[in-house]
Amino acid sequence: MQNLSVISVNIWNVLISLVNLLILTWIVKKFLFKPVMKIINTRREAIDADYAQAKAAREQAEENRLNYEAAMSAARQTSDQIIAEATRTAEYRSNEIVAAARDKATDIRRQAEADAELERKKAEDDMKHEIADVSARLTGKLLEREINEEDHRALIDSFLNDLD
Amino acid sequence: MTEAATPDVKSTRFRAVDGALIAMMILPILALIVLKVLFTPAADGVQIAGAMIYAEFEAPVMPVIITESQINTWAVMISILGLCLYLTHGLTAKAVCRRQLIAEWIVEKCQGLVNSNMGDYFSAWAPFIAAIMALSAFSSLICLFGLFSPTGDVNVTFGWALLVFFLIMYYKFRGGLWNYFIGLFKPIPVFAPMNLIGEFSTPISMAFRHYGNVLSGAVISALIGSALSGLSKSLLGWLPGFLGDIPFLRIGLPAVLSIYFDVFSGVMQAFIFAMLTMLNVSGAVPWEEWAARREKRKKLKEKLSKSAA
Repeated sequence: MQNLSVISVNIWNVLISLVNLLILTWIVKKFLFKPVMKIINTRREAIDADYAQAKAAREQAEENRLNYEAAMSAARQTSDQIIAEATRTAEYRSNEIVAAARDKATDIRRQAEADAELERKKAEDDMKHEIADVSARLTGKLLEREINEEDHRALIDSFLNDLD
Repeated sequence: MTEAATPDVKSTRFRAVDGALIAMMILPILALIVLKVLFTPAADGVQIAGAMIYAEFEAPVMPVIITESQINTWAVMISILGLCLYLTHGLTAKAVCRRQLIAEWIVEKCQGLVNSNMGDYFSAWAPFIAAIMALSAFSSLICLFGLFSPTGDVNVTFGWALLVFFLIMYYKFRGGLWNYFIGLFKPIPVFAPMNLIGEFSTPISMAFRHYGNVLSGAVISALIGSALSGLSKSLLGWLPGFLGDIPFLRIGLPAVLSIYFDVFSGVMQAFIFAMLTMLNVSGAVPWEEWAARREKRKKLKEKLSKSAA
């Protein structure tokens, strides 16, 4: 077996080594870089997807919170409204009741006054009657003659009426 | 195939494939050792020579000589292919195997190195740089097995440097041939020959730097080895029988020196070669001229389409 001398240039060997490097580049690219890059990209996509999902979930939660708060404030408003309404109604009703009571009291008083008036009139009438009776009897006794009691009464009544 | 199913790492099939891939890494190197042992002639004394010639074919211009460098390079390439396949065997998005971390580390480091040194425009060159580093480093490191380093052969490193030179020229011509030609006469026309030499010196210096470092390491190792055997023979030659023939002094010291000359120097040169490739290629692009040229071409195209319409 012969040896090459330490420095000897052979064009074919140079070309072979050049092509070797090209082939190895292809090998490294195809069998190392491509699969690894693919895996790295797959992982990155998965992570990105996770992040997106987390972000969406957070946004959803935020939205829910806002909705809840809005609903809460709406409910508070409604309850305030209801209470105000009820207060107003109660006030109105109480006023109504008080007014009705006052009316009734007035009515009762008027009735009582009317009754009293009637009573007084009645008493007055009775008294007139009594007076008429008494005077008739007195007159009869005085005159000692029987006069028509009916005529007599009418006479006295007219007299009494003239008194008024 | 959108997403590979999680491989059963413990299955027999997975392990068998793993074993085959490991064999693919180791067997070429073993075959080289066997070949070396079979064909190396017994020799005395210091022998510093180039690669051993295995075969020779007639071809135009020069005979094609298949030497140790070529065979060793091919074996190293097969080993690297095996390594790539082994590292990417059973890749999953969740990284089940530890080797996946190594593979991702390698890829990301190379990508980062290329992106930071060449710019994002050249990010597609990462596999090329990785291939240069792997081929150069492993070619240098197989001398640890007592094999001939292909990087110690100027033809091999010159082939790589020539490829880099073509790339540099390709990117330099992007600014236009005329611009490139004018550039040679800058800053003053007297510099033209020097500039021209400078263009061609890049690949030659790259090739010889790498080759010289590896070869000098090998030469020094051989010299120290033979010197130590000579010393051993003269100092311990009195030992009885075959013990006198064993060069005891060669135990230890050459290994320590080998860490520098073979391991450190080999890896260092691989890194330097890759670094120079990156810097030279990325520095070769005349961005302004190229942009101006693209602009011009665009305008011409518009004019043509207008006149056609």
